[in-house]
Amino acid sequence: MTGKGGVGKTSHAIATALGAAAHRHRVFLLSADPAHSLGDALGRRVGARPVAIAPGVVAREVSVLDELDRSWSEIRRWLRELLRDETDEVLAEELLVFPGLEELMALRAVREVEATGDFDVCVVDCAPTGSTLRMLRFPDALRIFMENFFDLERRSARLLRPLMERIHAAGVVPRDEFFEAIERLYADVEDVRRILMDGDRTTARLVVNPARVVVEETRRSFAYLSLYGVATDAVVVNRLLPAPATGGYLARWAERERGELDSIEASFPIPQFRAPLYPRELRGIEDLAILARDVFGDRDPAAVFTRGRPIRLHKRAGRTRLEIDLPGVSKEEIEVITRGSDLLVQVRNASRWIGLPTSLRGRPIRRARLHEGVLEVDFG
Amino acid sequence: MVLYTGKGGVGKTTTAAATAVHAARSGRSTLVASADSAHSLGDVLERRLGPEPSRLAPNLDALEVDTPSETQRHWGAVRDYLISLFRYQGIEEVVAEELALLPGAEEITTLLAVEAYAREGGYDFVVVDCAPTDSALRLLTFPEVARGALRVLLRVQRVLASVVTPLARNLVPLPLPESEVFRDAEDLLFRKLRRLRDFACDRHTSVRLVVTPERMVIDEARRAHTDLALFELGCDAVVMNRILPDAAAEEDFFRDWARVQRERLAEVKELFAPLPVLTAPLQDDEVTGLDRLAEHANRLFGTLAPDAVLCTAPRIRFEAEKGGYRVEVPLPHAESRQLEVAKIDDALVIGTGTRRRSLPLPRRIARLELSRASLRNHSLVAHFTSTPGAL
Repeated sequence: MTGKGGVGKTSHAIATALGAAAHRHRVFLLSADPAHSLGDALGRRVGARPVAIAPGVVAREVSVLDELDRSWSEIRRWLRELLRDETDEVLAEELLVFPGLEELMALRAVREVEATGDFDVCVVDCAPTGSTLRMLRFPDALRIFMENFFDLERRSARLLRPLMERIHAAGVVPRDEFFEAIERLYADVEDVRRILMDGDRTTARLVVNPARVVVEETRRSFAYLSLYGVATDAVVVNRLLPAPATGGYLARWAERERGELDSIEASFPIPQFRAPLYPRELRGIEDLAILARDVFGDRDPAAVFTRGRPIRLHKRAGRTRLEIDLPGVSKEEIEVITRGSDLLVQVRNASRWIGLPTSLRGRPIRRARLHEGVLEVDFG
Repeated sequence: MVLYTGKGGVGKTTTAAATAVHAARSGRSTLVASADSAHSLGDVLERRLGPEPSRLAPNLDALEVDTPSETQRHWGAVRDYLISLFRYQGIEEVVAEELALLPGAEEITTLLAVEAYAREGGYDFVVVDCAPTDSALRLLTFPEVARGALRVLLRVQRVLASVVTPLARNLVPLPLPESEVFRDAEDLLFRKLRRLRDFACDRHTSVRLVVTPERMVIDEARRAHTDLALFELGCDAVVMNRILPDAAAEEDFFRDWARVQRERLAEVKELFAPLPVLTAPLQDDEVTGLDRLAEHANRLFGTLAPDAVLCTAPRIRFEAEKGGYRVEVPLPHAESRQLEVAKIDDALVIGTGTRRRSLPLPRRIARLELSRASLRNHSLVAHFTSTPGAL
């Protein structure tokens, strides 16, 4: 579940989890938003350790500080050695909590859920769209880094180490364990990438409010998600003014809302679910189970409502065509460039390096065009 | 200077813009700046804004920080080195630039840009529209954390520059950093970051928390208030938006909702006391344009001056007591079961469950041992006594 800040992602993530559990799925609910609010929405504490919050639902909030304690010991050891004179543990930790690390930890947590084999569905309460896109972009950046520099850094470290030992400064060169830790991390992230980009297993759900700024931002996210290879299978329109509230003080508001609903209809050609504005706050399991029933009725929220692969490769008569769904984007906003083994696609201020299959590497682009919301790239 | 922050979608930008319009119309020369990379300040002011201040009305300038170009300005040499390193590997320029986006660099440069305009622009009053709480906290606490990162970099440099560089040039198949890379880093460490930290903690700077009368929003604001206090960033008010006006509260549909809202308002007043709680009604239409913003600010501030520090936050205090010293750190809303306290070397380390700070202790106290700590009256009180066996 993702969407602009404050639209109701967390409530709908919990409702989706409860609805899925009601259909007898074993559900894991994971908060990947560094500003966790699962606990606030449930009115109880949810921490870094998985905890059962309802029959069939286990929840967890990913904590960067805890993850560091758990699995980054090699990297921390290196930093500690580097800071030997200062012996400042907290500092070593703070250094690792750079923007992007939180997203990375969230990605690894998804893989851990799958590895247990104990769950049928994992619902992820994501950070607002901007950070979520940064999370999705991380695997590409890491891949480029690993393919291009990793061995080199390791070789350099091996060369430098004896030299540094002679001048008693070996601590500044990372040990082999450090590189092994990074390799393991890379393997984990690659696993997660495969899970995320498999449209049969993973879909994004966008939560939107019927307000202009929210709809605008969500339309852009819809295209960006597709660019990163994640299929969006449904949109949830949250906080619709119910009929009894549309006549009085908020009449003008209700009228604007009708306009926004038309625009949502036109921008998102996928199934739409709706939730009303409730005349009170929804909090706790019982309230959110009501929300789940109001939104999904008898339908199973764990179903995939639209099946699709946003990025496809076609071969026809010896020619290869790459297709990318880019809904709501105009031709002027797209740029396509090949660079050796990668294809760079820029859409407004988002860009992605798509790793090309071996058969396409180094081949020129014969033609690229935007046709009915689909970017078609033909290779020569 | 006033910084507005709060959970996504609570109305930060509208509040920041309204504050600025109000101050400008009462004769204060005012700048309003957006530090949120998803800029919407221009939408609210109904003007296209650039990275330089543009004049919107008498006494009123506005800008949206252009983070990529600011980053280039402040991190030029460091970035160029990284790019050269990547390009050396046969990586295309565009990719190299992408990879050289340093973690945290954006946060620092955004703040540096705002600070430069605040210092040099000759304004009476600066209003900053910050990103949602979590990013804003990162932005405001980053100067302190980044100093640590740069200390590491400089330590590496000392080793490299003295012995390794001349030898390693022939051995290592990588371009090694030139001295200006470190000069840039040192400049940042010793001058710019210190200035930023002073600027953020200045007694004329305050943070205002924006909330709506909803439980989840209030919970997040409480955590932010604790963490801001931990880093000595003072809050001077809470703004509560979207309160149902009486006209709507009488309609059947809204009656219970209005009652819950009144409870939340009372609760926020109590929780955040002594901070004043400013309120604004739920509008039936979008608040954009200077005139509507001015009306909105009138309802919000009443007779209060928008540019005054509305409440002075308590400071960290070090005091002598019988047998040693006492350190008092104001931590509103902190709960003892989530608090971590330890003395590590010369610092008192405090964790709130979401953030940790290593607070340097004066030498006199750093010699002593932490004997006990407790939470009293919204402050962490840590007692230090001399070690048994010490002089």
